[in-house]
Amino acid sequence: MAILTTVGLMAVPSFYDFAVQYDISKIFVLALLALSMSFLWGYVGILSLGQTAMFGLGGYVYAIVAMNSVDTATAALIGIVCPTLFSAVLGYFLIWGRIGDIYFSVITLAVTLILEKAIRATSGDRFVIGKVRLNGQNGIPGVPSLEIPWEAKATLFIDGVYYLTAAVLILVYVGLRLTLTTGFGQVLVGLRENRRRVELLGYDSRHYCLGAFVLAGAVAGLAGVLFAVWGNFVGPSLFDLDRAAQIVIWVIVGGRMTLAGPILGTALVVTLTTWLGTQGVGQVTLALGAMLTLFVLLFKKGLLPTLSELLSAVARWAASRRAAR
Amino acid sequence: MSAPILETRQLSKTFGGVKAIDRIDFSLAPGELRCLIGPNGAGKSTFFKMLTGQHRPDGGQVLLNGQDITAAAAHEIGRLGIGIKNQIPDVFDGLSVAENLTLAARFILPKAAAARKVAEVLARVQLEPMAGRLVGELAHGQRQWVEIAMVVAREPILVLLDEPSAGMSVEETARTAELIREINREATVVAVEHNMQFIRSIASRVTVFHRGRILVEENVDKALSDRRVRDVYLGRSAA
Ligand SMILES: Nc1ncnc2c1ncn2[C@@H]1O[C@H](COP(=O)(O)OP(=O)(O)OP(=O)(O)O)[C@@H](O)[C@H]1O
Ligand SMILES: [Mg+2]
Repeated sequence: MAILTTVGLMAVPSFYDFAVQYDISKIFVLALLALSMSFLWGYVGILSLGQTAMFGLGGYVYAIVAMNSVDTATAALIGIVCPTLFSAVLGYFLIWGRIGDIYFSVITLAVTLILEKAIRATSGDRFVIGKVRLNGQNGIPGVPSLEIPWEAKATLFIDGVYYLTAAVLILVYVGLRLTLTTGFGQVLVGLRENRRRVELLGYDSRHYCLGAFVLAGAVAGLAGVLFAVWGNFVGPSLFDLDRAAQIVIWVIVGGRMTLAGPILGTALVVTLTTWLGTQGVGQVTLALGAMLTLFVLLFKKGLLPTLSELLSAVARWAASRRAAR
Repeated sequence: MSAPILETRQLSKTFGGVKAIDRIDFSLAPGELRCLIGPNGAGKSTFFKMLTGQHRPDGGQVLLNGQDITAAAAHEIGRLGIGIKNQIPDVFDGLSVAENLTLAARFILPKAAAARKVAEVLARVQLEPMAGRLVGELAHGQRQWVEIAMVVAREPILVLLDEPSAGMSVEETARTAELIREINREATVVAVEHNMQFIRSIASRVTVFHRGRILVEENVDKALSDRRVRDVYLGRSAA
């Protein structure tokens, strides 16, 4: 199944033009972001609205470092490390402070907002890092794409970015799946099932929550770097509240208790949003809201778990038919 | 008499004006198998939860082998070797029986040794055929066994069992009594129970709680025939 999907995704560029590849790459990047949130929410049970903060941080750090004529691979690495460290510090204070789950969401949201406001306030000549002007509201244009290591002076073009984002998404997905099978991952699964029992067995859940938060921060940062590479642009909208809310929708639609669900949810909702936009429906947000409500009511666990339950029900029914005959 | 493994001094807990536990002095000798009984709402579960860091006491002290654990967090107490089966099954419903036990065993053992431990504990609770089944799909009695097995897999020094035979059939109850006696060979045990026959079959000493206080503490025959105990239990023991 996974192999088939991989082959299918890798074949897309031979059939579709750059515009399609460009759109799909964006979905891959956003799906990474959704993955980072659902890993936290679905397994550790904490709803972080700060994943966009890590996303934006990753994008900005990559842009600033790369535009200061550092090679882009190093810039990408620094772009991932910064949000990871930031997650570690933020997570430490939030988790060791033993604040409630609701406050966790509220504070991570506040952190995102603060970062957004701070970036918006950086217009003018005073805000320059190295050679790069931060430009406040307007963002930083002309962010370089990744250099191709084996070709001098060449950078990834649209098809290259497509392959890169597809590969990264698949790797991160597989990596997270594998993480869940390790001793550390099994405790995370345990936390999802029953936090009190995990504690009673002697595990200090705070270490595991922090580990998951940092890992999720790294994935969100990586998504941010890729987003900057993809669009050759970073702006304060990276930290957007709108997006912070939309990720929740993608994850809920796909099913937060799985890792594949949020990827599917992102693809579906982003495609739908774009399509609604081109259809001249004025109220895209309204339509999205209605859709979310419908989803929560119809499929409590999300699309993917519901689909697989349906499939196994059909299989059971078919088996009983065969047995009856 | 040897130093107590567990001791509480003037332990108290109030819930919005209700004294759930009222200045309890309790002491347990190492290796003992004690039964804790008392009518509904007597404070038995609250007492257990204070011993395991699930409820913070309002006053008094809890000592484990002389060490003050009154303010310790649940995971620290788990680490020190108190294992508890809560009244409402507290298991990982979405995981298989084997995965439940592995999570418990892995805390103290490396991978290979943990696998051996899981196999051994599975055999003890006779759940081997269920190893791959999701715990959420099991019958109530079996889920209780999974929880007991998880507690045992952690090799605790003190085991607290809150109504281990509740909702079990007669055969399951008998098997549970046997299991508790087995656990008692390696650990000190306190069990909350309502089933008088069950209590007689496992315990020698009984502590009776009533309205957050210790009413009687006696050997099993004396305690169960005590007038005061009969009075507070009326309506319950008849059943
Ligand atoms: N979390 C809570 N909040 C408020 N009151 C509580 C809470 N837990 C227990 N109580 C109250 O404390 C008292 C003791 O309850 P507890 O559950 O300890 O009794 P119990 O002896 O275990 O009873 P049972 O045999 O029914 O399990 C009861 O009056 C109960 O209503
Ligand atoms: Mg109780």
